[in-house]
Amino acid sequence: MLQCKDVTEETSNYIAGVEGGLPLSKRIALFMHLVICRCCRNYVQQFRQTIDNVTVAKPQEMDATDRQALAKKLHAMCDKTNPGDH
Amino acid sequence: MLSVARAIVGDSIADEVVQDAWVSTIKALPKFEGRSSLKTWLVQIVSNGAKSRVRRENRYSSLDDGWEAVSSDKFDHTGHRVDNILPWETATPEALLTNTQLQKVIEQAFQSLPAMQRAALTMVDMEGYKINEICNILAISSSNARVLLHRARVAVHDAIEHYQDN
Repeated sequence: MLQCKDVTEETSNYIAGVEGGLPLSKRIALFMHLVICRCCRNYVQQFRQTIDNVTVAKPQEMDATDRQALAKKLHAMCDKTNPGDH
Repeated sequence: MLSVARAIVGDSIADEVVQDAWVSTIKALPKFEGRSSLKTWLVQIVSNGAKSRVRRENRYSSLDDGWEAVSSDKFDHTGHRVDNILPWETATPEALLTNTQLQKVIEQAFQSLPAMQRAALTMVDMEGYKINEICNILAISSSNARVLLHRARVAVHDAIEHYQDN
């Protein structure tokens, strides 16, 4: 019999369906546990909301790109390929 | 691009890898055949550039490092929850649109994630990549990719839960 702890370890894999890579027997066992356990149903629901929230919020990677350095590299590249320009 | 580079080479040279990738991309643009989207092609160039600068074995997360999705003290001796999990009312995507504090909580949780987890979360939950695609881009196994993704989601979940409780 699966325990609540198992649900917390496999939530992502469970909600991904076949893509989650869990064997069918494990998916059925998780489903059966969710049928009888309201806490775990709520946890899975919270987890789905977490994913939806991330999708909506789209937190961004802190951008530290040195644009000037990149522009210099690109200019150097242009100069090499089109020495007559400028 | 930066997420992928940071996941593979770490913070210190990720920026350089992204710059090199832009230069490589522009150089190789005439050879772009349109067999994939431009975005996929760009990510692949970053991934290849980053992989060539780092030793693979340093980037694997151990799958058996004692990590727990939920702390053991939240379960009784039979493995069942001792706390009562209630549905969230305010942490819905609809509420998020108007709740700047919740947006900040998610943003901070995201920034606190290790680079590999951040990349997995970005690619799957924000960009819609499949697990097998991120395995290829980050050069990790599918079980490793799933673990990284799950750990990232758990961290964001816990941050939202903490916000809900306070």
